[in-house]
Amino acid sequence: MRIVARRLGLYLLTAWVAVTANFILPRLMPGNPVQTLIGKITSQVTPAEIRAIRLSFGMGFKQGVIAQYFTYLGQLFHGNLGISITLGAPVSSILRESVPWTIGLIGISTIISFTLGTLAGAMLGWTRGSRFDSLIPTATFFQAVPYFFLGTVMLLVFGSNLHWFPVLGAYSQSATPGWNWTFIASVLRYGELPVISIVLSSVAGWMLGMRNMMITMIGEDFVLMAVAKGLPRRKVIAHAARNAVLPSIANLSLAIGLVVSGALLVELVFNYPGVGDLLLQAVLNEDYPLIQGIFLVITLTVLAANLIADVVYLVLDPRTRSEAAV
Amino acid sequence: MSATIPREHEPTAVVDVAASAVATGVTRNEPVLEIEGFSVDYGVGASMVRAVDDVTLRLDRSRVLGIAGESGSGKSTLVYAMTRLLRAPGVISGGRALLHTTDDDGVVTPVNLVEATESQLRKVRWSHVSIVLQSALSALNPVLRIGREFDEVLKTHRKEMTRAQRRARAVELLRLVGLTEDRLDRYPHELSGGQRQRVMIAVALALDPELVIMDEPTTALDVVTQREIISELATLRARFGFAMIFITHDLSLLVELADEIAVMYAGSIVERAGARELYEAPRHPYTLGLLHSFPPLHGERRELTGIPGSPPDLADPPTGCRFAPRCTFVMARCLSERPTLRELGDEGRSVACWLFDPASESRVPVELSLAPSARQTVGEP
Repeated sequence: MRIVARRLGLYLLTAWVAVTANFILPRLMPGNPVQTLIGKITSQVTPAEIRAIRLSFGMGFKQGVIAQYFTYLGQLFHGNLGISITLGAPVSSILRESVPWTIGLIGISTIISFTLGTLAGAMLGWTRGSRFDSLIPTATFFQAVPYFFLGTVMLLVFGSNLHWFPVLGAYSQSATPGWNWTFIASVLRYGELPVISIVLSSVAGWMLGMRNMMITMIGEDFVLMAVAKGLPRRKVIAHAARNAVLPSIANLSLAIGLVVSGALLVELVFNYPGVGDLLLQAVLNEDYPLIQGIFLVITLTVLAANLIADVVYLVLDPRTRSEAAV
Repeated sequence: MSATIPREHEPTAVVDVAASAVATGVTRNEPVLEIEGFSVDYGVGASMVRAVDDVTLRLDRSRVLGIAGESGSGKSTLVYAMTRLLRAPGVISGGRALLHTTDDDGVVTPVNLVEATESQLRKVRWSHVSIVLQSALSALNPVLRIGREFDEVLKTHRKEMTRAQRRARAVELLRLVGLTEDRLDRYPHELSGGQRQRVMIAVALALDPELVIMDEPTTALDVVTQREIISELATLRARFGFAMIFITHDLSLLVELADEIAVMYAGSIVERAGARELYEAPRHPYTLGLLHSFPPLHGERRELTGIPGSPPDLADPPTGCRFAPRCTFVMARCLSERPTLRELGDEGRSVACWLFDPASESRVPVELSLAPSARQTVGEP
């Protein structure tokens, strides 16, 4: 427990550094959002209007940088991330709408991909040299194809031409968003093709990683001992797999950390209302508060994922416990 | 193989029978293991290497056979192949290995391990033959608690035992090797090297096997722990009456524990004799060389000379005796003809060397014709 507490402290420190960087970076950039906004207004702008804009961004008050920083921190704690310039709504509520979509889509895909890939990798490693080995080049091919291309082709073939899957969006227009079965079923149905495409393009990594670790583990003495003990095959494989999966768990944490940010291409191809799409819009429109808010969410997710992975690793590998205690 | 009859879990009963058999000096001359014409190859075709060449061995119940030889002599390959644990590219290319398994009713069934199916092997493994490896650290699964090592063996082979019974049996086994119950909840990396090896020995005895194979179990340990474990093994063997194959390159260690010793060189057995006889009066020049490579644990000091040269390349072995290029007593015949393992008169031992060929004109060198001292009780140095 002490180790977990220590890790937690470390992550809090990292989070603070990230939040601070998020505060400093925009202030180091040339220009400011007010000028950007004024530049967008085509008609004449009066000084009174400029003052109003500055006020609406909270820039009307003469405040030192340090004071600004503490105001910023205080607002953060209250979940106030400012107002989006382009959408005119609070950043926090915009994020609240798009983050669940991304986490749902990419998170579920990552978990499916990890599970399938790891199981297949364990089997491939165990039966090395069998005819199933041909799965590897097939899977690697799909990972090597640029996702943008793979996604578009799948959308075109299975969506537009064959009509096997619905295209565009996260749910049917006829469904009313909410906790009703029609809506949930529609979300699941619309999610199928994106999920399949993501799994297809990422499963090879999990598979190869697990297979290679499995082959290494098979050479270990404790696997030989498991055979010598007359254990059933299933248990012998479990001995090897239990150790082989450890590096994959570490990679899974990194992958989960990227769930929020790494979905840009998927969301573009499938017109999915997630964070990736939002980030692209925000960057194109120089919507600073929104960019800042998204960065903050991404940073915190990565940190949280790493923390979870650390804890899982401590549970799975007893050796890290004693090393951490040193 | 007969159908699996659940064995009664009564270790004490087993102890009594075995202990009395040993204590009264009754040697039951029933074999537990018979290896005949056993050969093992690595690879096939042109790149094939014969690592074990036509080995024949017999081990009786409750006896300890030591197999000695330097690295690459095939001693480990022999036992791993025999127990069907050898990994590719190792292939058994001939011979058989009969394990005489005894069930609860005392019915002895010989199982040819070479031809046994996977499911037959699973039944034989650990119940009848268990193994202890050199490095206990790598032989124990690093992410599992020690208790699991016992638990999974008992769970697989003694399905009728409850969780509490398995735990009790594990505690009992740990006590046998001088460890306390709290070790069960530890992970391998939390134990010392000696403790880990003791755990391995305790796990090996979990199912009262007839045969325990020890593959250099003390090599990775310091000499003090090494000695402790050897004497514990001798005690355990006397108590439970299991037969043992003990593989090592250290002959002086073997003489303490083994009843008989087989010396292997380049894939073949070159000499086989009672432990004391072999130690005090070696017959094969290679055995003599091995004895001069280790300081004796007891008795007078000897000069350590070692053996000049290195073992032959098994991919291209010499035509005659494989030891000839390194042998001090080499004769013309040794370079052309390969000697076979033959009984040596009435001494109850065998040697593969032309020096001892009855038809041979040559005189046996004095180093190789010593008489062993008067035989004492086996197992008491």
